[in-house]
Amino acid sequence: MDQDIATGSAPTPAPVSLKREPFTFTGTTREYFGIWIVNVLLTILTLGIYSAWAKVRRQRYFYGNTWLAGANFEYHARPVQILIGRLIVVTLLVAYQATAYFAPLVSGIIGVAFIFLLPFFVSRGMRFNARVTSYRNVRFDFTGKYGGAFLAYLLGGALVYGTGGILAPLASQWMWNYSLGNLKYGNRPIKCDPRLEKLYGIWWLPAGILVLGWIVIVAVLIGLAVTFSDRLGELLAIVGESLQESRTEGSEGDVNTPSPMTVLIIVYSILIPFFILYAIAALIYRAGTRNVALNETIIDGRHIMSSEIHRGRFAWISISNLVATIATLGLLRPWAAIRMAKYMASVTALDATSSLEEYFGSIQDSGAAVGAEYLDVEGFDLGF
Amino acid sequence: MASDGPIHGTWRQKDKARGHEAELSVASGGLASVTDPSSSTTFAEAPLAAIMISDRVGSIPRRLDFIEAGTFETSDNDAIDRLLKGSGRKHTSFVHGLEKFRPRLAIFVVAVIALCFAIYRFAVPVLVEVAIAATPPVVPELMSKSVLASLDGAVFEPTGLSADKQKAIGDGFDQLKALSPRGKDGYHLHYRKGGFIGPNAFALPDGTVILTDELVDMAKDDEMILGVLAHEIGHVDYDHSLRQLYRAAGVTALIMMIGGDIGSGTEDLLVQGTGLLALSHSRSAETQADRNSVELMYKAGKDPAAIVRFFELIRDKFHDTSNADFFSTHPATPERIEETKRYAEEVKAKGS
Repeated sequence: MDQDIATGSAPTPAPVSLKREPFTFTGTTREYFGIWIVNVLLTILTLGIYSAWAKVRRQRYFYGNTWLAGANFEYHARPVQILIGRLIVVTLLVAYQATAYFAPLVSGIIGVAFIFLLPFFVSRGMRFNARVTSYRNVRFDFTGKYGGAFLAYLLGGALVYGTGGILAPLASQWMWNYSLGNLKYGNRPIKCDPRLEKLYGIWWLPAGILVLGWIVIVAVLIGLAVTFSDRLGELLAIVGESLQESRTEGSEGDVNTPSPMTVLIIVYSILIPFFILYAIAALIYRAGTRNVALNETIIDGRHIMSSEIHRGRFAWISISNLVATIATLGLLRPWAAIRMAKYMASVTALDATSSLEEYFGSIQDSGAAVGAEYLDVEGFDLGF
Repeated sequence: MASDGPIHGTWRQKDKARGHEAELSVASGGLASVTDPSSSTTFAEAPLAAIMISDRVGSIPRRLDFIEAGTFETSDNDAIDRLLKGSGRKHTSFVHGLEKFRPRLAIFVVAVIALCFAIYRFAVPVLVEVAIAATPPVVPELMSKSVLASLDGAVFEPTGLSADKQKAIGDGFDQLKALSPRGKDGYHLHYRKGGFIGPNAFALPDGTVILTDELVDMAKDDEMILGVLAHEIGHVDYDHSLRQLYRAAGVTALIMMIGGDIGSGTEDLLVQGTGLLALSHSRSAETQADRNSVELMYKAGKDPAAIVRFFELIRDKFHDTSNADFFSTHPATPERIEETKRYAEEVKAKGS
């Protein structure tokens, strides 16, 4: 850290006045519900065309209601930019799906090429998103390049899977360093150097939950298997047979495949507890890395970010939001989105050491939204 | 034309973060000016028509861009709306009007639910038909060639069936072709050794039908094999594989479009859910093909229940007696046997 807070020891270079500016979110469910339902309705009525306008209205609502030190953020993307980006991305994805369906060999090659294009999409997408965002009339910019995205997202991702999560903190360090550390505000740099030991400090809890969860689930499964041991042989026979038969499935029209339904149910009921376990561990880990990364983020060498997510509370909000949304066929989605935005704002703050009014910048949004829309349509979550 | 009084807000010079307390007023000629209320210096002046005013979204502050000079921001959305209305400028808040929290939002909710259902039930099938009609024949041909080539490379080996056997099956297949909508040049039968996919038969969208040696060996007589081939001809005639592809692509694209509005967790679950629904679609495709087999075999003067006998053969071989069927790509065998047997008798009874 190139900026230490004066601790009172002499000689003090200049009196550093640290002013904590909290983030606040002022959106309401009542207001957003209307925006949301009209977005969904018009998107469906226009067979998806309106989704570009819907995205702009949604983003403007969320950015515009996020306040820091008496000013709000703003989102400036134009719907037509978004629409063009979306059309290109959807065309590419549909074409890819078609090849995957009918020419698996060719699609494999395209798929590999696609992976190497991904860092390009990421860097362009981040640049687009940064440039259409402003705070106090000054736009953000993003200067990350292909190489950094390759390291952070491809190698980082491979590292997480390849080591069963043991090196996840290293990947997180790369990702935060790339996504936040390349951000500029009014041409001034933003530094984000989450230290590895701190990332490992928040890694223990989700890792422990994962290991413990595995042990519990496996124990329960074994328990069930022993309890129903008299029927186990029968069950295994069905599974074995179905596995054998499932190999006889052709691309279509195979007339001789008996119902693999039993297998599906067994496989799903074994996998679902694991999915839930991984989801919880991932949520807790994600909240922890955000805390570490933001707390080591320094804007323009003088303002320090602060993030104090309570990990259990974050996991609870995420999971209960999802359950509430599904249980109400999506109707509680606006409530869930506002609830999450309010919580995230309430745990985020900026420790400003000087006025936030002195910035200026001349960044204008430029380029197509293809990268950004790829990230959006594919549901990439950059707040990993 | 003039507004009821100055509108309070913040002035920021172009690209500058510093905000100044400011007031906006519009003279009767339509000239808007932003002034400092304490010193009454003018920050900027421009005709109202030349100012870019952001659309109203909820109650977030509005931005009025004085193109080269700077931006006036105000939370007084209603005053800006009055200003726009008074100046006769195009009313931009139509969508905002829809979004207001009023009882009619309940109607929108009902409309969304009804539309989702209607799209899935009616619009997607119509679009699939349109897409199929618009697909030039070269597309299924290319797709089929490519599938056959990759299967030949990865799975199949040349057939080991004797020429006599091939001719016997081929003659029967010719009879079936002649009675089918695409005629004798519309379908091509290929024999292959199935490798690890074992006893099987399948159809490709251009009319290519592949039959594995293993299935021929398993069948007790040639009529059973022809019953299976008639089933595959059904898949070709109904364009089942293209339909499946278009339906999956259309539904997935729609879900992606509203993805941002429903959250990524819900989006993932929806995509999984439509996957399950697609399974039930492929079940009905199987039933359709079974019926095609019965009808076609009957027309050709062969045993319409030949495919039923084949199913019974599988059942005895694999002891599959499970009755549940929702998750299955294909109807559960016992039910399918019953249903097809019943249909075969119905066709026979009608014919005699």
